[in-house]
Amino acid sequence: MKILSIRNLKKYFPIRSGVFLQVSGWVRALENVNMDISQGETIGIVGESGCGKSTLGRTMVKIYEPTVGSITYCDPSGEIHDVSRNIDRRVEPTFRKDVQMIFQNPFDSLDPRMTIRDTIREPLETHRLFASRKMMDERIAELLMKVGLYPEYAQRYPHEFSGGQRQRIAIARSISVNPRLLICDEPTSALDVSVQSQIINLLKDIQRDTNMSLIFISHNLDVVHHMSDRIMVMYLGNVVESAPATELFDHPAHPYTQALMSAIPSWNPKDRKLGQVKLEGEPPSPINPPTGCPFHPRCPHRLEICRRVKPEAAEVGEGHSSACHLHSV
Amino acid sequence: MTDSERILTVLNLKTYFGTPEGIVRAVDDVSFHLDRGEVLALVGESGCGKSVTAHSILGLIKAPPAKVAGRIVFGGQDLIGLPEREYRQVRGKQISMIFQEPMSAFDPLYTVGQQLMEVAKAHMPWEESEARERIIDTLKSIHIPEPEKRYDEYPHEMSGGMLQRIMIAMALITSPDIIIADEPTTALDVTIQAQVLNLMQNLQSSYRGSIIFITHDLGTVAEIADRVHVMYAGKIVEKASVVELFDNPLHPYTSGLLTSRVRREYKGQDLPYIEGYVPRAYEFPEGCRFHPRCPKAMEKCKAARPPEFEPAPDHTVACWLFEEGEGR
Repeated sequence: MKILSIRNLKKYFPIRSGVFLQVSGWVRALENVNMDISQGETIGIVGESGCGKSTLGRTMVKIYEPTVGSITYCDPSGEIHDVSRNIDRRVEPTFRKDVQMIFQNPFDSLDPRMTIRDTIREPLETHRLFASRKMMDERIAELLMKVGLYPEYAQRYPHEFSGGQRQRIAIARSISVNPRLLICDEPTSALDVSVQSQIINLLKDIQRDTNMSLIFISHNLDVVHHMSDRIMVMYLGNVVESAPATELFDHPAHPYTQALMSAIPSWNPKDRKLGQVKLEGEPPSPINPPTGCPFHPRCPHRLEICRRVKPEAAEVGEGHSSACHLHSV
Repeated sequence: MTDSERILTVLNLKTYFGTPEGIVRAVDDVSFHLDRGEVLALVGESGCGKSVTAHSILGLIKAPPAKVAGRIVFGGQDLIGLPEREYRQVRGKQISMIFQEPMSAFDPLYTVGQQLMEVAKAHMPWEESEARERIIDTLKSIHIPEPEKRYDEYPHEMSGGMLQRIMIAMALITSPDIIIADEPTTALDVTIQAQVLNLMQNLQSSYRGSIIFITHDLGTVAEIADRVHVMYAGKIVEKASVVELFDNPLHPYTSGLLTSRVRREYKGQDLPYIEGYVPRAYEFPEGCRFHPRCPKAMEKCKAARPPEFEPAPDHTVACWLFEEGEGR
């Protein structure tokens, strides 16, 4: 069952300038994104800063309205609703409960004036999941244990915890309402290396127990590979390649994916490889994206056509698509 | 490579801060040295004291209120206690620094050219026109496209990767003996990180300066370092050459860091990790500071601080497992 389906999603942010704040241009953050997410599945979204991966995550939870395109949501009873624009009042509570998000920086995403109990209780109260305060407190204790913290911590404040512990609290808050889809926006990149693995294991454990779906957004290819069933590679607002995780790593088809993979350090001082990375320049601005293929100015294999025509996603393997003209020559 | 010339020696460096929670021993009895032309990596997680070590070397720690003790020998003099005016001859000229966040390290109100010029004027005897020429040459040497145009641009007009390269140029203008790079690629994307590391490596071979490379990322260490010192909770726990460290890590913390790497083979399994969390600076444990998280902790580790042992040549480790007579 598909929880969320996205079709031809575009998100443009206006740039306003002058005294009257007239729109003088657009930041093209997302261009024609399509994706489906099924129950229990993990989709990884990978790309460099400014590629639109966070915008995509935020549009899915409806922090942002899409500019063009549709998002459909399938509620637990199997009914399908269009949630692209204003969400139907009868559907909204279920949608908001079902789709939760955790953010990159656990130092910003927890209110410093709220105790951990209040922080986790807020969504429980909003969704009126429990009849009494006592039941709520029991649930909070259970959640804290589930994420590897002591129930006594409930009366403490966020500043008393380390980054890893805070991210655990943020996870407890997001899973408190039993969501069916959890969007994780760089959940480990603000954490120390030794703690990163703890959080990844925790997310995997929770997913095993609850069969929820995950959207895992990260710039770290190794982490995305570990977490995901499917990976989408984004560049300048476009999905340039999409494939099952292992397939993507074994047979990266798009030149950008190949470049990204070549830039992962080797962890082997006897076989240094960063000197051989062939990718030059930097991603262009999404305000003034290049014509044709968005990657062509940096692409080592560019053809004449890449400058003029934007390549369509083409099937290059089973469940593996890539948007590059090289596949059709 | 026999004529190694020692250019910096740090002996028993201690940097303490008084805080309402208690004394923070951010750097506690750290000793190391740096030879000309080498890249020394200081590796550790947040709060391990790697940046405070760098700031202590540059005299950027205000003491008092902080306390900086020990010796930092550079160019035949001890930098600790050096009067500010003399420190300025060293800081930014003979020892320069590259910071982590290029976006916040530049002043947004001045063009990058003005900021580069400020460094040149403070330290070099050049006329303004000559300085400008040399700055543009430096920008050219690190492959910045259109250096003349960049010179008159403001920091916000550039990307993070470009600014980080300009910061490297800024550190290079005075041809320093030592460049301290504090997480220079952490804020950058992987493809840009590769470019910046590549650039630093080329500089390394061309100008024979030394680099202290501070990072938490062992992946980049493997790419750039000659020797590695691993820090944990204000202490150096292991020192080795980069090849030795990756082939034969001795300290349980180092092994933990190396196994924390997310490997492709782990897919479908739980990732290995180090138990617990990095302790906070005012509540470092007694004895070995790693013992509460250490899988091999012994009774002894709780009581006594391990000294440095040298189980292999040029490979030291501060861990009781390697005391004479103990097996590995």
